Amino acid sequence: MSRTSLWFDSLKNFWSLYKKNKKGLIGLAIVSIFITIALLSPYITPYDPYEWNVAPAFSPPSSDHILGSDDVGRDIFSQLIYGTRISLFVGFAAAITTTLIGVIVGTIAGYFKSLDSILMTFTDIVLVLPSIPIMLVLAIYLGPSIWNIILVITITSWTGVARIIRSQVLTLKERAYVDSARSIGAGNVHIIMKHILPNTIPLILATAILRIVNGILAEAGLSFLGLGDPTSMSWGMVLHYAQTCGGFSRGAWWWIVPPGLFIGFVAVSFTLIGYSLEEVFSPKLRR
Amino acid sequence: MGLKDYVLKRLMFSIIAIIVVFIFNFILPRLMPGNPILFIMGGVKLAPETRAMLIRRFGLDKGIWEQFISYTWRTLNGDLGISFSHFPRPVTELVLKRLPWTIALLVPSVVLASTLGIIVGVLAAWKRGGKFDVAVTSIGLFIWSLPFFWLALILLLVFGFYYPIFPLRGAISIGVDYTDFFHFFRDWLWHSTLPILSMTVWNYAGYAIMMRNTMVDALGEEYIITATAKGLSDRVIMFKHAARNAMLPVVTQITLSLGFTLSGSVFTETVFSYPGVGLLTYDAVMARDYPLAQGVFFISAIAVILANLVADVLYARLDPRVRF
Repeated sequence: MSRTSLWFDSLKNFWSLYKKNKKGLIGLAIVSIFITIALLSPYITPYDPYEWNVAPAFSPPSSDHILGSDDVGRDIFSQLIYGTRISLFVGFAAAITTTLIGVIVGTIAGYFKSLDSILMTFTDIVLVLPSIPIMLVLAIYLGPSIWNIILVITITSWTGVARIIRSQVLTLKERAYVDSARSIGAGNVHIIMKHILPNTIPLILATAILRIVNGILAEAGLSFLGLGDPTSMSWGMVLHYAQTCGGFSRGAWWWIVPPGLFIGFVAVSFTLIGYSLEEVFSPKLRR
Repeated sequence: MGLKDYVLKRLMFSIIAIIVVFIFNFILPRLMPGNPILFIMGGVKLAPETRAMLIRRFGLDKGIWEQFISYTWRTLNGDLGISFSHFPRPVTELVLKRLPWTIALLVPSVVLASTLGIIVGVLAAWKRGGKFDVAVTSIGLFIWSLPFFWLALILLLVFGFYYPIFPLRGAISIGVDYTDFFHFFRDWLWHSTLPILSMTVWNYAGYAIMMRNTMVDALGEEYIITATAKGLSDRVIMFKHAARNAMLPVVTQITLSLGFTLSGSVFTETVFSYPGVGLLTYDAVMARDYPLAQGVFFISAIAVILANLVADVLYARLDPRVRF
């Protein structure tokens, strides 16, 4: 059997297990809707999200502006549609970099005994530090931009991934097939790439999905605290403006409630996908 | 390895962690492109002689090693620099002044959240897979997935604006002469109810889920079967036997999650304009007040590292099953 068809088979096998998981399917459906919105956002926004005075300031929801307008008359619905793109992008990008660093550090620490204690001490130090204060300090030095937000999230959140991967690698490297590979003279790099990492892929995938949630929430938090990129209207940025530009004194619920619901929906959906993946991959958790 | 070696090992870890934070704080402003003087002394317009005095004080005219020695000396003496935005007040003084306000939020919310979390966790685990358990775990998941500060915003919008039962901002009313402590306390409590409530929600979910999981494990232990066989009532088994053993990791978690709680206080205090260390952090960020932001980070990092040390030692002492 060729490699690709084997891969295809395992994918089919995976899907037949995954589709039995109701929570996972709901999560996947909602996430797909949001990804579609993100991809199509320039075509489905009724107004330019950055353009002032498309409506009178602080106008409540109406048929023209279904989520009303903000303090300078920008259309809030359009901001949220555009925000989907930015928030998802930050979530995905931060999840990829976080997972990548976590996997590299975790694999090295788990596989090479000599490096384990120094790498894990360093991981534990970063893990212990209070995340919001350290993110804030880094972010004010680096300045407001999407890329710096991704960088700051990565610096503070790779540690969890590293710990999970390390403990998995620790058990994998004791397996008989690793011993036999070593006895026929396979090098460390070969063993890691061919025998250890492929077996951690399910775990990596499940962790990475949960890192997306972390990324989206962290971006929203940093933007809310005024460290977001003022040129990209993410969901957190919308809430930041609502807080600082009089959303409260006007009681503008249409400016405050929807962004949080958007974030909550996406975060819950990704969490459901992540948990379902864990259940599919580890039969012990299946009910 | 005995208890003593274990404690020594944890102590070493804490010292290394503090040194890492210490060096990080020194390097960061010097790593950035541009003149570090700008980051350390800010864009504050100063008279040339004041500026020269400050440069001398921070040793910025000297080499990097002399700067490091002077930085070490100052830090050991509790001098974390001078805030730009509250010029010329020292960072340490600003943080210490705000600290009691934050502690007044942290303590009640942690006590409430852990008590509630432990009780709910015990009940959920008792009927594992039941309606209550499913509700508890799903609500926990939902709270985890919502941006925390948004919950605080909604509380403020509903109970501060639409039904103005509670004030919109602050920790006490402005311009009130308090007749006695009770008068002051009542005013503070009126201002702090919503902040404490949001901090409680922020902390609660973690405790409930954790208590539920350790309780499920504890209920599978053999001593529970023994207790059931002895004919003890459900209540006694649930609280006297299972919960007492399951609680230990949750109790140490209270100390361990200080970092998480502190992060929450930044958001809570910002939303409610509550004048604690969290709001100070937010103001430092908005004003790009580098020394103040770094000072807050330094103090909170030390607090969290020490709390971890205490939790580790406490756990090892309390639980004889811990093997080192």
